[in-house]
Formats: sequence, structure tokens, C-alpha cells
Amino acid sequence: MVEYRDQNAPPGGPYQWGMVIDLDRCTGCEACVVACKAENNIRIAGEDEAAQGRAVYWIRIERYWEGEYPNAQLKFMPVLCQHCGNAPCEPVCPVYASYHTPDGLNAQVYNRCVGVRYCGNNCPYTVRYFNWFEPHWDEPLNEQLNPDVTVRSVGVMEKCTFCVQRIRGAQQTAQKEGRRVKDGEVTPACVQSCPTEALVFGDRNDPESRVSKLAESDRGFGLLEELGTKPAITYLKRIK
Amino acid sequence: MDLKRRDFLKVVGLGAAGSMLPGCGGETAKLIPYVLPDEEIVPGVANWYASVCRECEAGCGIIVRVMEGRARKIEGNPDHPLNRGKLCALGQASLQGLYNPDRIRGPLQRDGERGEGRFKPIPWEEAMSRWVSALQKHPGGAVLISRPVPGTLAGLFSTFMKEISGTVFFYEPSAERPLRAANRKSFGIDFLPDYDLANTTYLLSFGAPFLSHWLSPVHFGAAYGRMRQGRPEVRGRFVQVEPRLSLTAASADRWVPIRPGTEGLLAVAIGRLILEEGRTNLPRGDRSRFEKFYASFSIDRIANETGVAEEEIVRLAREFYTAASPLAIGGGIASEQTNGTDTLVAINALNLLVGNINRPGGIRFFRPSDFPASSAEVVGEQALLDLKGPSKKASRSVLMLYQANPLYTLPPSTQFRQVFEEADLVVSFSPFLDESTAMADLILPDHFFLESWGDHVTEGIAPAAGLAQPVVIPRYDTRPVGDLFLGAANRFGGGVKERLSWTDYRTMVREQWRDFFDRRQPGQPFEAAWVEALQKGGWWKPEGKPVSISQRGAPSAAEPARFEGSEKEFPFYFYPFPSMGLHYGQGANRPWLQELPDPMTTVVWGSWVEINPKTAQEYGLAERDLVRVISPYGEIEAPVVYFPGNPPDLISVPIGQGHRAYGRYAEGRGVNPLALLAPLIDAPSGALATGATRVRIERTGRKGRPVLVDQTGQGTRRHTEGGEGEA
Repeated sequence: MVEYRDQNAPPGGPYQWGMVIDLDRCTGCEACVVACKAENNIRIAGEDEAAQGRAVYWIRIERYWEGEYPNAQLKFMPVLCQHCGNAPCEPVCPVYASYHTPDGLNAQVYNRCVGVRYCGNNCPYTVRYFNWFEPHWDEPLNEQLNPDVTVRSVGVMEKCTFCVQRIRGAQQTAQKEGRRVKDGEVTPACVQSCPTEALVFGDRNDPESRVSKLAESDRGFGLLEELGTKPAITYLKRIK
Repeated sequence: MDLKRRDFLKVVGLGAAGSMLPGCGGETAKLIPYVLPDEEIVPGVANWYASVCRECEAGCGIIVRVMEGRARKIEGNPDHPLNRGKLCALGQASLQGLYNPDRIRGPLQRDGERGEGRFKPIPWEEAMSRWVSALQKHPGGAVLISRPVPGTLAGLFSTFMKEISGTVFFYEPSAERPLRAANRKSFGIDFLPDYDLANTTYLLSFGAPFLSHWLSPVHFGAAYGRMRQGRPEVRGRFVQVEPRLSLTAASADRWVPIRPGTEGLLAVAIGRLILEEGRTNLPRGDRSRFEKFYASFSIDRIANETGVAEEEIVRLAREFYTAASPLAIGGGIASEQTNGTDTLVAINALNLLVGNINRPGGIRFFRPSDFPASSAEVVGEQALLDLKGPSKKASRSVLMLYQANPLYTLPPSTQFRQVFEEADLVVSFSPFLDESTAMADLILPDHFFLESWGDHVTEGIAPAAGLAQPVVIPRYDTRPVGDLFLGAANRFGGGVKERLSWTDYRTMVREQWRDFFDRRQPGQPFEAAWVEALQKGGWWKPEGKPVSISQRGAPSAAEPARFEGSEKEFPFYFYPFPSMGLHYGQGANRPWLQELPDPMTTVVWGSWVEINPKTAQEYGLAERDLVRVISPYGEIEAPVVYFPGNPPDLISVPIGQGHRAYGRYAEGRGVNPLALLAPLIDAPSGALATGATRVRIERTGRKGRPVLVDQTGQGTRRHTEGGEGEA
């Protein structure tokens, strides 16, 4: 295998971005969902499109009902792109729009994407969304759009990027100062907003980072890990 | 300086928000205040301004990312003691309030009959003189209904109304009036305490929805996370007692269903057991009052009335009194009954019995900051209804509204509409055309909060005064409500002009802060302190010493709750609850919140009726069938969603939809369940008992079209039946 050498690799080896989601902290409040929409210029589908399953959520809260009254239980689980190390969406893309970056992100290159939707078909987490229409914001809602993030046009796939615009910003700052990105220096929008701190983000290549430490917990598991996708997100089991 | 900056921002603002390659911008600047000159603003580089979120009554600190004169993103202010950098869905969505296409863009006057909702523009000058001359014509007949605005604005409103012999009501449906009334009885304290969840080892909550909309949900969310996983050796346990499994109960270790309105009785039983087993450290003098009250109750009778098994009651009591740091809280459906205040007094008693007052993990009382403009008392619904009572305050009055929407939040059965119909002039200062504003004769629109100066004094947590500054230039021909009232005072002349002589509201805010700092740090230069407060987002200090309480009130009543509607004709309890995204309806005009799936049902863009699946099947109701819900006071129709967390005899419907006005995203969507409610009141607090109406249901034979994002709700249930699901 050819060793890829990143010209801009930081001192101490490459980054490996990852996340830990503690289900014992998550309360299903959905602050992360709106934070993500605001940061990443996610389109508003409206009632009719939503009814056809075309509303876009880069992060969503799955809910699982168990049992019946009076023993009914409800469990919440935030689900977003798992940025798999062995991603099912990547080998099936005919134009290399879905590819793996050296720092462990599953990237989606919008201007390569031709919209065959095989990646969405192959994703076991159903976290990829297709743009069936040109996005639209009633004026002046568009004035809020984040200039650091592309507005995806009709015909391309989109999904969670771990807020790559924030990651790249932090990496450039660190590079200019000749150091590594500090733990906690960069947070995706969902992580930043989460009131209970259920979401934690950081560098899995740094054994001292919070994610690395939390991911070693006995409660840790990967979502559908039996599929061998090697997700970059470690969930911590809820204690019941 | 302001003008120069404005012109500058207009110029840069003309460039459309071009998309840049990620990371092409420079670093983000440090928080800088509004008072720095324009040279600091570079296109493509974000500036962050600190301010205060006003989407609910909590008043979290925020920082706003501004580029090219546009607010792009809001985050929690990491320094603010209330929310420490965190923010909820409502706060995140407030940008869609600022850039809402249906904002009122200038002063308006009624065109046609009152309530038709047709308006035409009116010049500011004319609008002001119409308003002020009406006030002058009706000395003593002016009423202002405002949302709570603790800080300089509350002081301004109170002073203005007092000087013109009018009345001001600070009103908000989520103001937790019964909790305040109960805390006065139990502890003799007027301000809200801090519930130290983070250090609790055993939390017993009677319906308190502290993870969705109770007092300060972001603060409690953060504390909850620390309670569960923030301590190396201890994971706090949490039991929720309530009739319906709420979002908060979903996170509990155990949910204990209970008959509605009997939560206070359960608390009495637990209190009795604590005393019986000698597990209290109450002083002997206080103890006898508690013993006397508890003596007339028996555990088995309470078990019978509450529907909670006797062994469960004993278990709850033991868990509670053996815990290292127990805490009992109450709210939500438990307090929204005709006996709400009594219920909360009985719950407070548990804390007094185990002596967790001012201890880590218990209830702590911190005196609110001595900010000069104190907050005025928030009233319950009863005070508003008295307007059309024998005093006839409403007739021939000048009715003013500031961001309060009583025509939506008060049930029609209260006939509050009369107050509008009998008023001589109705004036609204709302930035949005909500139901109450649509009934106005004059609309003098306020800026959106992100365009305004202001402050917000929080109570409960360590004393904090948040400072709000405009983060963008005002978009439309609106005026800060503070300026309007100062302008009116100036035109009015006399005492009110003397008392309120500031030229504009910004100056008034500055002067209040000057007084505040002068008393805190005499001799320090004000300008530096002011700039620092703007940068930081306000003033707060580390936790001081808690205030000791002088009173340990025993419960004095445990009457069963009253319900409207006979059990025979109306077999169901009915509970309308504030929805996660739309709260009491104010979120309904933000598309992000409309499209936010309800966490329990995943419904978006509409209303639904939650029914226990077995009950629904008995009625022959499939999921998505339109069902009619009928109370003695009205009826609504909405689609059925099966809800395993409802008891067989309870119907629940979320509040927030069913707007007749309020813009394109809210209007004509879903139903307002408040339309069914009886005008029943919890007497000690004057708060509406929203859980006190009974209903029946009827099939309509038609299908509804609820939009569920998760189409597999049933499927996931099948997966996990009889087995332990993952997570």
C-alpha cells in the first residue's frame, strides 16, 4: 500500500477526528439538531417535502419505545454520519465524491457528486440526504447563511461533515503557530450547543484527549459495529 | 460614531453572502464590544458580540457571530454562570426571529374593524401622538401587559405606569407561579432558589419538566449531565413521578405513573414515612407541626387514591431518606392543577424533613443581585381575568401589550377577548403580528432583541445581570420599546417626564449600570467597567454565601384536585403540554422549530393527539386517524399518534400550533389545545390549572396527515419487544 504523505501534517503525526456520545447524558432535547441546521445552511424542506421523507437532518435524535404502559420506556440516540474508517458509501461512488480524508473524515465533495445516490443506498445509518430540489429561503432568512459553508444545490448528496469548516480553521491556526490543535479547541456545532455535554469531539490519535479517554469506557460500543464499518463515533451505553 | 458604523455596515452588507472555501477566513477575533470603531470590522472575518437570549424567560448569556453586518450563528456565552456556553433549540433558532420574513416593518394602524387583522402604515410621529393622547384622555385607565423583563425595562415600565396611575402586569404562561407561591409558604423566600442538581445523589421529581421548559432548561440540562456522569464515583439516581411519560421522565431511571392531581398526597405519604422512621433532623419545635399535619393520613388510603402501590411508596421514601444528597422538586403537570401550590408545599416539605437546604445537592438560596431596576412581580392568569371583573378596569381603557399574547395563551372560556373589545384603544409593541397584536388599533413595533440594548437579571443561580447590546443594525423602521416609553413620558410631561428624563433607552441602561457599578466599586472609572461588561456579556460574581431561611412551613392542605367535566360524560384526563420546539406557541413562526421533530413522536409541522395504543384500539382508532377531542368548553380535531407513555385514561396534545395569526409558517397549522380548557385556577398562586379539564374523544372516520419523520416507530418497538435493546 502506498503511504500517503500529507505535506501539511501537523507535528506528532496526523489527526484522527472522532466523537463520543454518552447516552447516559443525552436527554433528547434536540439543541444539537437546530445548532447543526444553523451552522451548515441546511435547507428548510417544508411540510410537503417532509411528508415525502425529504427533510434534511445531518444529526437527528432516534427514539426507541420499549414496553407498554405502565412499563413504557423511551430511549434517545443522536445519530449522525459515523465517519466510518471502512465506509460503505465510499467504494460505491463512481466519481469519488465520497472519499476518506487523511485525518479520518468521510468527506463529500459536492462538485464531484453526480447524484447517483448509491452512497445513500449503501449507508447502514441512513444519514445521507439527497437534494431533490434547489434549496430555497424566504427572504431575508437567507441573510443568516454561514458564508463558510457551501449551499448545496439540487442533485447532490449531503451529510454531516463534523463541521469541517471549523476543523480546517483550527488546523490552519495551529499550523501557523507551529503546533497541534489543542484538545477542545475545535467543536462541531452540535457539540458546542449540547447542554448536558453528551457529545464530545476531539483527536483519537492523541491518547490524552477527552474522546480517547472516554472511548475506552466499558460502556463504549459502535453503532451497528458488527457490520465492520469502523465508525469514528463511540457511543456510551445508557445505564438503566 | 454609530452613524458611521451603520453606513459602513450597509455598504458591506450589500455584498451577497458569498460562499467561501472552508477555512479561507482568518482567525475569529476576540469578543469585541459595539463601542469600538469601524476599522475593527474586516469583511470575511467574524466578530462576536455578547448579549442575552430572550426566547424564553431564563435569560441565558449568548455570543453572536456577526459577519458583514449579518448575524450568522448564536452560541451560548461560555462565561455566563447560567448556561456556561450551552444553548437550547429555541436559542439556536432565534436568528429566524431576527430574519423572519413576517416581521412587522414599521408602525401600523388598524384598517377596518378591530380584529379583522387589516392594517395600513402610519407615520411614527402620528402613531406616538395618538397613543399618548389616548393615555392623557384616560388617566388611570391604562393597562400594560408585558412579558417579564427583569432589569432596566421592568423598572421603566413600572415607573411609567405608576406615574400615569395605570397598571402593569408582567405575565407569562411559563412563569411557574405556583412554585413561587409554594416557596413563600415553605421557606418564606420571595425569589427563586437554585436547585443544585449537579451534586444530587437522588433526585425525586414530581412532574418537573426540568429537561424541557422548567425555569432554566439549559442550566438544568448542564447540571443533569454532571449529576449523571460528572463525578468519578457517583452517578446520581433520578425518579420521575407523573401521570404521563414526559420527555424528562424518559431520562429517569424509574418512571412512577400516578393519578393526575394526587402528587401532593404521595409527597405527604413519603413525608409521613420519613417522620415515622425517625429519619428527619428537623428541630423539635418545627417537627410537631409536621407530625400534626401528617397524622390524619394513612399510607394505604393514599396508595389507593394515587394509584401508586404501597410498596412503591415505601421504596420511594427509603430511597429518599437514605440518599447522601436527596432532592425533591415539583412542577409541570403536578403544579398545573387546582391544588398546584399545595402540592408543591408538600414536595418542599420533603426537602425540609431531610434538611437539604443550602447544602450541596439540595436547594440553595442565593440573593439576587442588587441591580437597581428590580424585577416586578409576575402575575398569574387570575390577575388578567380580574380586568373584566367587577372592577371593570378593562372598559374604556388603553390596553397595551408588550410581547404577551393572551389571546393565544388564555383559553377562550376565560372570555378574555372582552378586555380587548371593551378597550378604547389597543396598542401593541410586538415585533410580530400575533393573535393579540392582530386585535390592536395601533402597532408600534419594537426591535427584535438582537437589535436592542437591554439587560436581564437572573435569579436562582448565583447573582447575574446579563447585558444585551445590538449585534446588527435594525433592519426595519422599528423602534426600541424603551425609547417609545421614554418618548411618551417626555410628551406626557409632569411627574412621569421628571422621573424618566433619559433621552433614549440606551442612555438609561448605561446610567443604571453606572449606578450599579458605583455602588459595587466606588471610585472605579465607569467607562472601563462598562466596556468590560459589554465584552463579557454582563456582570456576575462567583457563588457567594447562600441566605439562610427563617421559615420551615409544614404542608397545610392536601385537597384532591378539582376537575371540570363529569367522569361519566368526559372519561379522559386532558393534558396540554408545551412542545419542545414551539413552547407556548412563540416558536411557531421559526421554520427550524417547525421542522424540528418532536423527540417523542417525531412529528413535524403540525399537531397531534397522543393516546394510549390500547385505548385507541378500543375506540377503533388507527394511527393517523383524525380524532375529535371534546371538552365542556370546546373541541379540536387532530390526527392520532399512539403514545405508550400515556395512561389509558389520559389524552395529551402539545401546545404551540393552531395560530390564527403570527405569520406564514404558523398560521392555519394544527390546533391549539388550550381552546378546550376550563377557566379553573389554582387559588393561592392565581395560575391557570391547565391540567384540570376532562375530555371525551370521537372518531371522525377521516384520515389526518401527520408528518412523522421516523416512519418506523412501530418497527423499532417490534425489534425490542421482550428483549433488551441496545443502548
